[in-house]
Amino acid sequence: MSPAHYIALAVILFVIGGVGVLVRRNALVVFMCVELMLNAVNLAFIAFARMHGALDGQVIAFFVMVVAAAEVVVGLAILTSIFRTRRSASVDDANLLKY
Amino acid sequence: MTGSFAALAPVIPTPHIEYGQLSPMLLVFGAAIVGVLVEAFAPRSLRRSLHLALTLGSLAGAFVLTIVIATSSTLFAGGSAGHIAAMGAVAVDRPTLFIQGTILVLAFISVLLIAESSHDVSAFAAQAAAVPGSPEEREGLLAGISHTEVYPLTLFAIGGMLLFPASNDLLTMFVALEVLSLPLYLLSGLARRRRLLSQEAAMKYFLLGAFSSAFFLFGIAMLYGFSGSVKLGAIAAAASGNTASSVLLYAGIALIGVGLLFKIGAVPFQSWKPDVYQGSPTPVTALMASCTLVSAFGALLRVFYVAFGQLTWDWRPAMWAVAIVTMLGGAIIAITQTDVKRLLAYSSIAQAGYILTGVIAATTAGLSSSMFYLAAYGIATIGAFAIVTLIRDPGGEAGHLSSWAGLGKRSPLVAGTFAFFLIAFAGIPLTSGFSSKFAVFQAAAASGGLPLVIIGVISSAIIAFPYVRVIVLMFFSEPAPDGPIVVRPSAYTSLAVGVGVLATLVLGFIPEPLLRLAHDAAAQLFVR
Amino acid sequence: MSYYVPVIVLGGLAAFFAIFSLVMGALSGPKRWNRAKLEAYECGIEPTRQPAGIRFPVKYYLTAMLFIVFDIEIIFLYPWAVAFDRLGVFGLVEMVTFVATVLVAYAYVWRRGGLEWD
Repeated sequence: MSPAHYIALAVILFVIGGVGVLVRRNALVVFMCVELMLNAVNLAFIAFARMHGALDGQVIAFFVMVVAAAEVVVGLAILTSIFRTRRSASVDDANLLKY
Repeated sequence: MTGSFAALAPVIPTPHIEYGQLSPMLLVFGAAIVGVLVEAFAPRSLRRSLHLALTLGSLAGAFVLTIVIATSSTLFAGGSAGHIAAMGAVAVDRPTLFIQGTILVLAFISVLLIAESSHDVSAFAAQAAAVPGSPEEREGLLAGISHTEVYPLTLFAIGGMLLFPASNDLLTMFVALEVLSLPLYLLSGLARRRRLLSQEAAMKYFLLGAFSSAFFLFGIAMLYGFSGSVKLGAIAAAASGNTASSVLLYAGIALIGVGLLFKIGAVPFQSWKPDVYQGSPTPVTALMASCTLVSAFGALLRVFYVAFGQLTWDWRPAMWAVAIVTMLGGAIIAITQTDVKRLLAYSSIAQAGYILTGVIAATTAGLSSSMFYLAAYGIATIGAFAIVTLIRDPGGEAGHLSSWAGLGKRSPLVAGTFAFFLIAFAGIPLTSGFSSKFAVFQAAAASGGLPLVIIGVISSAIIAFPYVRVIVLMFFSEPAPDGPIVVRPSAYTSLAVGVGVLATLVLGFIPEPLLRLAHDAAAQLFVR
Repeated sequence: MSYYVPVIVLGGLAAFFAIFSLVMGALSGPKRWNRAKLEAYECGIEPTRQPAGIRFPVKYYLTAMLFIVFDIEIIFLYPWAVAFDRLGVFGLVEMVTFVATVLVAYAYVWRRGGLEWD
């Protein structure tokens, strides 16, 4: 298996995540799609690190994981508070802000 | 980052960290951590004053340290452009120090607004965890408490903003982007009044922000795959000697561009801006409209001037398109707005378009005029949002423009000041809006961007219409009988408004000193 | 300008892939819904419905979030632990600073009652 295959897989996962963000209605699922995108990037970093024969990419993947965890906590806090108010996590229901 | 297989050598060399050159950022982050301890151990009655002293003190201290570094004789000895500190992670050069100084001044004024407590306990929720409309919430409101966590959160965000434009490698830049964004997501959801709007703004900002940072990160991965490094200088070197396939390089530029243009709110990545500006507590909106914009433009300038500096002819067409739709889109949609904070948000989108014309120039004049514009616009926009906090009805701030009718007859001073800021945003001569717009358009025209300048002038003419409509509404229509009240500002808000008016006037009449400072700072561009 | 062609082609391919998968999924997937399929999957046992209007206990969730944050932060200790003898005093000082920072967050959580179960 050449690392190029992993890059292709990373691109596919990233696109699936991106499409998910655009088409899904539930804020939690949207958020999970963003996490899928971040993990796709991690895969790309590690495959590139292998291609270049350097460890930098793996170190970057560590940082991305930590940042993603912090993002999960902040995001879930916001989503829980909005869910407790509205009893709904649909992004279509969040429609007070317009014009 | 240890990097490469050098890590297998018997003893790993100690990395060299220039603590002195990083001291402004270290001070702000340190104060934020102390702020968390204050939150944990100080009694409630003391917290606000402790936080206020800590926050304002650390911002002022960081500003002094920035000036000390900028005037240090060793750092810039022998015409050096600057120094890359912390093993290549952070660049300390004159443009960065100018941008960091601007952020610190703007942050100091924004914190004054955050600290305002005379017309409400504060702009922030009593208990963010209490459901809006619940008995727990009413209890908290009656007890007159408010979240003091906003001060450490603000400091963390400001620390991230200082690091973001200074990052010399893309990993540091990504971490800084998240450090500045995550506290802002929370802060935008903490409004005391109209909490549903605020929570909704936080959710939109968070989901779209996380989406855009995933694009930014994928761009970093592409550039890492292309060049084998995330250092801006190494990417530039790989790009200039490039003979192989460039798909990774161009995909990386595009994806990184999306991430950064989202943060500055350029069309077509602007959709979050009006919603978040309207829903957030107004002091937080002021912080985002000034400091975040400066920081994001600083990072955009560094990435596109340092890493992609050799590829100007490749990214320029795309940036032209973005600048044109940003200037026209922001101005045209602004006409239909009926809420004052949304109007200011679309105004901010159009201003981002004008600054982009300076960025596109890719010259020292482009860099210096963009930095001057950011400083002048940032300070005026804080003043404008400070005025918005003063016009109140029983539900909180009266944002709808219909309730601003006849304000000039009831409170000429407040209405006159707001009209003055609008005139400055429209770019009328003898305000900072004119001198800064003139500077960026001049830089753009000098580097072949004459069509952009023409579109910029058209856009300025279009956006003047909603501004004039607000001024006419305030001065030439009858006040509604149940209109909002204009509260007397305390020293904090008065100071923020006063500094905004003064800076807008001074930079309009005698812009030369700050222009020269920006020009000197930009003379050697960024350190490579 | 011609450098833009590969990017546009890549974008086109990505868009094609996304649209193709969505359309194919919608067209070719079987649509035989029944009650059991629409039900939540709970490790094979009969799902029990949450009574409407009753709050889901949030205690577990808060603890889980705190766990995630502190757990992930410790990821940085692994590389340090592997090479700790070769990183010297500098590495030790940096790691102590890092752990102290995490400890500040822990102190905040503890003092503000984030760890109290009831």
